[in-house]
Amino acid sequence: MERNPYVPIPVDVAKITTEVTTKDIKTFRFAFVNKEDEEAFAYLPGQFAELSIFGKGESPIGIASSPTDRGYVEFTVMKAGTVTSELHNMEEGTRMGIRGPLGNTWPLEYLAGKNVVLVGGGFAFTTIRSLINYMLYEENRSRFGKITVVYGAREPGLLLYKDELALWEKRDDIEMNVTVDKGDADWKGKEGFVPAICKEVAPSSENAVALICGPPIMIRFTLPEFFNLGFSKENIFTSLEMRMKCGIGKCGRCNVGSKYVCKDGPVFSLAELDALTPEY
Amino acid sequence: METRLIKKDLLAGLIKGLAQDTLVYAPVQDEDNVLFKVLEKGMEPLTEYDNTKNAPKNFFFPQQETLMRYLKKERGSELLGVPGVTAEAVLFGVRPCDARSFVLLDNIFDDPQYRDPYYVDRREKTTIISIACTRPPYTACFCTSVGGHPLSSEGVDVSLIDLGDNWLAEFVTEKGEKLMKKLGDLPKGDEQWASKKEALAEKAAGAITTKIPGKDIKPWLDENFDHPFWDTIHASCLACGTCTYLCPTCHCFDITDEIKKSDGRRVRSWDSCMYWLFTHETSGHNPRTSQKQRWRQRFMHKFKYFVDNFDAIACVGCGRCVMYCPVNIDIRKIAQDISKL
Ligand SMILES: Cc1cc2nc3c(=O)[nH]c(=O)nc-3n(C[C@H](O)[C@H](O)[C@H](O)COP(=O)(O)OP(=O)(O)OC[C@H]3O[C@@H](n4cnc5c(N)ncnc54)[C@H](O)[C@@H]3O)c2cc1C
Ligand code: SF4
Ligand code: FES
Repeated sequence: MERNPYVPIPVDVAKITTEVTTKDIKTFRFAFVNKEDEEAFAYLPGQFAELSIFGKGESPIGIASSPTDRGYVEFTVMKAGTVTSELHNMEEGTRMGIRGPLGNTWPLEYLAGKNVVLVGGGFAFTTIRSLINYMLYEENRSRFGKITVVYGAREPGLLLYKDELALWEKRDDIEMNVTVDKGDADWKGKEGFVPAICKEVAPSSENAVALICGPPIMIRFTLPEFFNLGFSKENIFTSLEMRMKCGIGKCGRCNVGSKYVCKDGPVFSLAELDALTPEY
Repeated sequence: METRLIKKDLLAGLIKGLAQDTLVYAPVQDEDNVLFKVLEKGMEPLTEYDNTKNAPKNFFFPQQETLMRYLKKERGSELLGVPGVTAEAVLFGVRPCDARSFVLLDNIFDDPQYRDPYYVDRREKTTIISIACTRPPYTACFCTSVGGHPLSSEGVDVSLIDLGDNWLAEFVTEKGEKLMKKLGDLPKGDEQWASKKEALAEKAAGAITTKIPGKDIKPWLDENFDHPFWDTIHASCLACGTCTYLCPTCHCFDITDEIKKSDGRRVRSWDSCMYWLFTHETSGHNPRTSQKQRWRQRFMHKFKYFVDNFDAIACVGCGRCVMYCPVNIDIRKIAQDISKL
């Protein structure tokens, strides 16, 4: 029987990791209660899901794990309103629900054979993390060219996935540029805003695609750097956020022009966005 | 196509007969209004009326409905169930414009990627009987400008056409033919019906005097999202949402949780793009902070975005928003004004 797209899939909170010193961003690892649901929840990097808590509501959250991670799915959530606060109060072992996977993916087919530049600012790094783990997966790595990452946060304590960042730094098949606006006594990495670091790293636009995610102000100042480097609007992608409810193109809430971010997005190229109305 | 004749004074009785063992929705008098309601014992279905105040979309997409029930436990919660399948039903007395709204709404709710099980279930189980508009009821009617017709049977299973002493019933679909059997023995319609219908259709369409530019303004809309014209339409708008609630094609909804002690339900309710909160994000960011933006969204959704996606205007020309907007904002005039720019 066809699945009712409004009914959440039952999951258990398997692991909670507090990511940042301010404690308001946590990564939730969910295990599927039913094995067949795990198989049905076939996703790719860039997609999102509705995290569903009966009695509180639902929130759309990007999938932070990679499909190559078997047995669980992860989301990194900032404490904001009703649902996300309830999540933050949860303990491991609690049963809740997820609805998805929803939306489109990072343009994986298009990225194949190309150099990939990934730019993330603040906590909008979650689905980029999914993509990095996906591309670095042994059987996938050879399908992609050079991988360059620029990732920035305000201060070292606000960087997500610190253990993974350290592991990636050690590899020679990915170039990491992690930066903070302002370092502390222990900080040995780069200092400076993301746009400035992008200029300094100056990734070549030759056979390359850039995926850029972050707060609007970061995106505004980063884009000119990429245009200067010769990246065309067809070769720059970003992921949009709009208030959502259904997640399946019915409730009419998340449209940008004639596209629904939940169903046609959240990933769009700048060229696609140019063709839509500038209202997001 | 099978046709039958139904004597004028027999129709209401036939519908009441159906209601004895089937769920029937029909237009009934309710104080000053004509409203679609579930036909219960003692209620009289109307066969001569202008149109209902409420659009019939709520029989497929109720103003509020339970999507699922759950039990809140000490730790987490448990899904108790999803409302079961609905019964067979008959929706009687729909005007052709409103019937067409279902065809438009199917694009959204019966989309093959994500079928909406609640809507689709009711839609599949409901047989629709329309009453064609041989005499279009309102000066606000403009179905012919947006892809409809007063005698159209698009979206209809049985179409009733006024022939004076009789209703001519056209059994348009298989569902309609099934219903025909339940109506008992009725005399067959006239063999020459087709040619007569053409004359009736022409006369009815001719009686619709309001003309608006439908798809003709699409090229302008494609190019002019930022045009100063958009500053001129919303000033008196109260953001009451009447236009969207009465609209047969508006389909925006909200999903909320309601909980009493440990019994909870997840509910969907109609919502409206005319409200500020509709797009307000938790961060405080709101892509549509002004009523100008929200009016532009409403108009663009109907005359551009829906056309981009489904090659049809998301307006059936019923005139409800024109007649009931408390400050007389007129979507027809907006379209006409745009065509003069
Ligand atoms: C595609 C997508 C991916 C996202 N990924 C992440 C992520 O990885 N991590 C993260 O912390 N946040 C993410 N967000 C933002 C997150 O959805 C909101 O912060 C969250 O919905 C707030 O819900 P709440 O119940 O806590 O807030 P409340 O204000 O209590 O809830 C209001 C309701 O409005 C809706 N809503 C409010 N703000 C937003 C918003 N910005 N986007 C979408 N719906 C909203 C939701 O339905 C929410 O339940 C994402 C949003 C989108 C659209
Ligand atoms: S009915 Fe009129 S006043 Fe109310 S929201 Fe619609 S346009 Fe505005
Ligand atoms: S969230 Fe309902 S249409 Fe996108």
